[in-house]
Amino acid sequence: MSSSIMAMMIGISTFLGALGLAALIWGVRTGQFDDESKFIDGARFDGEDELRDAIKMDEKKKKAQEKVKKAKAAKEKNYMPPD
Amino acid sequence: MTQVACSHCHLKFDESVMIIEHKSEILYFCCKGCEGVYHLLKDEGLDSFYEKLGKQTLNPPVTLKDDLNRFDLEGFKNKYIKITEDGLNQVSLIIEGIHCSACVWLNEKVLHRTDGIIEASINYSNNKAKIIWDDDEIKLSHIIAKIRSIGYNAYPYDPSLQEEQSIKERNEYYTRILLAVFASMNIMWLAIAQYAGYFTGIEKEHKNILSIGQFILATPTLFYSGWVFFRGAYYGLKNHFVNMDLLVASGALLAYAYSVYAMLTQRGEVYFDSVTMIITFVLVGKYLEVLSKKRASDTLDKIIGTMPTEATIIQGNEKELISVENITIGNIIELKPGEKVAVDGILEVGSASFDESSLTGENEPIHKKSGDDILSGTICLSSVVRYKVTKRANDSLLYTITELLDDSITKKPKIEQLANSISGHFSLSILAISLLTFGGWYWINGSFESALIIAISVIVIACPCALGLATPMATLIGISRAASRGILFKESRMLETMAKSTLLALDKTGTITEGKPSVISFQTEEGFDPAMLLALVHSSNHPVSQSIEKYLHDNYSDMTIIDLANIKSIDAKGVRAEYDGNVLAGGNEALMKSLGISTAVTSEHALYIFALSDKVVAKVELQDKIKDQAKQIIGELTNQGMKVVMLTGDHKQSACNIAKQVGIEEVHHSLLPVDKAKHIDKFHKDGEIVVMAGDGINDAIALAKSDIAIAMGRGADIAIEVSDIVLLDDKLESLLNTFTISKRTFAAIRQNLGFSLLYNIITIPLAVLGYVTPMLAALSMSLSSLVVVANSSRIKLKSNIKENR
Repeated sequence: MSSSIMAMMIGISTFLGALGLAALIWGVRTGQFDDESKFIDGARFDGEDELRDAIKMDEKKKKAQEKVKKAKAAKEKNYMPPD
Repeated sequence: MTQVACSHCHLKFDESVMIIEHKSEILYFCCKGCEGVYHLLKDEGLDSFYEKLGKQTLNPPVTLKDDLNRFDLEGFKNKYIKITEDGLNQVSLIIEGIHCSACVWLNEKVLHRTDGIIEASINYSNNKAKIIWDDDEIKLSHIIAKIRSIGYNAYPYDPSLQEEQSIKERNEYYTRILLAVFASMNIMWLAIAQYAGYFTGIEKEHKNILSIGQFILATPTLFYSGWVFFRGAYYGLKNHFVNMDLLVASGALLAYAYSVYAMLTQRGEVYFDSVTMIITFVLVGKYLEVLSKKRASDTLDKIIGTMPTEATIIQGNEKELISVENITIGNIIELKPGEKVAVDGILEVGSASFDESSLTGENEPIHKKSGDDILSGTICLSSVVRYKVTKRANDSLLYTITELLDDSITKKPKIEQLANSISGHFSLSILAISLLTFGGWYWINGSFESALIIAISVIVIACPCALGLATPMATLIGISRAASRGILFKESRMLETMAKSTLLALDKTGTITEGKPSVISFQTEEGFDPAMLLALVHSSNHPVSQSIEKYLHDNYSDMTIIDLANIKSIDAKGVRAEYDGNVLAGGNEALMKSLGISTAVTSEHALYIFALSDKVVAKVELQDKIKDQAKQIIGELTNQGMKVVMLTGDHKQSACNIAKQVGIEEVHHSLLPVDKAKHIDKFHKDGEIVVMAGDGINDAIALAKSDIAIAMGRGADIAIEVSDIVLLDDKLESLLNTFTISKRTFAAIRQNLGFSLLYNIITIPLAVLGYVTPMLAALSMSLSSLVVVANSSRIKLKSNIKENR
């Protein structure tokens, strides 16, 4: 086996492994493994309904954020210095 | 009669007492609460909850006092509600009543469906929830009401106290370990190829590539994962203290430096695999310690979360709700039934029963009248009273207890400091020896490279592995052995202290005794009807009534069910009711006296008298029953050289009586929680290593003060929290097992340490003399670790043999 092929094999496998590791670390950092039992139960309980719920929650969040932004903008627009 | 399961909570009861509904299928409910929640879930289309619940049972929903408006008060908001970057509100809650993952699913589902809630996530392991909501659309009180409507309860906690920090620390360790494990796994197959090449021959070019691959993996492991050791070593040195961290860091760093040198000059062998292995093993050990801290902070949050934030003070003719911090000494506070006392004081107007179980562990309500002390953390049960504040919130009992507990969680015990100083001396000697070796060989040989290799061999061969594994390996097996018998050690190092302990202090109620009274004599007279007594005791949930009810069921059959009229419970005395024109009364002597019935009985035990139309027809004597085998077990412990003493809040007669029966000679009675702690201090002064076993909050301070605290599994949360060991099955036999397993484990630790010391005495001189290459050093280090592991596994076998006998 030539050394360049060996180097490439080691390089690629390590790189792919590192990608997986990075994904795992990202999961840990964003708190996805904070509750180990919930993580496992996800497989048992999560269905279409839960997916729809998640989308709804996302929409709700966006709406609330927009509302707050608008309120802030309106406040700045109508700003009047105190007499 | 057949027993059927409640359609909501799945608890089984007699069919006759159930609420029955005939729908498409027959529904049974044990109470109105369950019925309400069941229909609510059905109407909301959430009945798939029951499928998810499976055979799990729930606690029936309890009716809670109406305190919802406290969640919208300013004082509460300032303390617990945070505003997020988006301008939304966020609160951290602990949800009570979660049994299984289906409960988490239900709570999240209901919260997600509520308008105005932007985010809701519940952690199953610690029942903590984070909720973000829009205050314009919904108030927090409504969110709490929603959670209560489905049969759970929620109260807030402050995450910034301990939790945020411990979560951060845990995640940081987790990331470091993941990287270290990944690198070690990958470096191993590269290293194996290289070792194989060492024996069968390998092209130089191939060897270089393998070395570079290992270098790439070892570098982040050493500097990122191993950073904690560099940090620990730095802080150690800064405080003039040599610790194990320094040995790990210097060993790994030197091996790394030499390997880089070998890789660049293409001479000699690389030892990157040793670098990652050393870091990974020791890091995992450290991580376990971080985990246990996180668990401890979870329960502390639970206690602080139930502390009241406001109280009603009376100013002239006006009532005002102010936050607890603003209460001053001399304020008059009004308490309504169901309210928890926020600060200590003295009762001025009115009289009421108080539930002091959170402080004393006694279930019996205590009647208080004007002039009596009111303690924070207790709950007012019966009527509206006013009391005068004598202590500010920060000096009150409840706060003092939580402070003490916080201290006990964050403080390190003496024994660990000792272990650190021993390993410090060891590390220092090894570093000195290797330095001398390097200097000596350089002086003799003049070759920098060979001198460095030999010096590294010395460090690697003595590297913490065998010594480091000697204790954790044995304790790990000891702990898992204990856990399989229902004995939970919170931290491994407690095994060692336990094995060395000299004095065992036992609480009485709940530890030596069952903690509930049982009938020891039952005298009846003419006119006694068991059915009437059954109906009377059934109407009360006092422990005495419950024991009599159980006794009647066990000893009488065919009792007809009768309905009593005008049932009236008289505080701290008993119950009075009417049936068929007769007056029934059951309770203590004080009740009989107040009804003008003469009794003329004396008893050293608790006495329950049952009177029918002013005539005594039954006398029942009750006593707290001593646990099975208490005498044998205490005798066995005394034989093993332990000094056993009793610390109890109970009065002299009862304490001495029990002590005599179980064979305890030293008894300290009538003690307040603080007195118990003082006794522990006194034992310490006498040079004893104290083990304390208890179950109530009244034991909590003493438990926190003792070297080893053992809690009974059914005890109060707070007692379990400050303990180092929890006995799940409440049996005294487990207490004995705890001692046995600790002693065996400690023996194994000593053998392991002895072996690794012997190993070091033999191998270090060999390494110093230059007979050992670093690779051989790494190999023998692994072999010595294997010996330690094998010896530790014997703990398991030994206990098995004894148990099977």
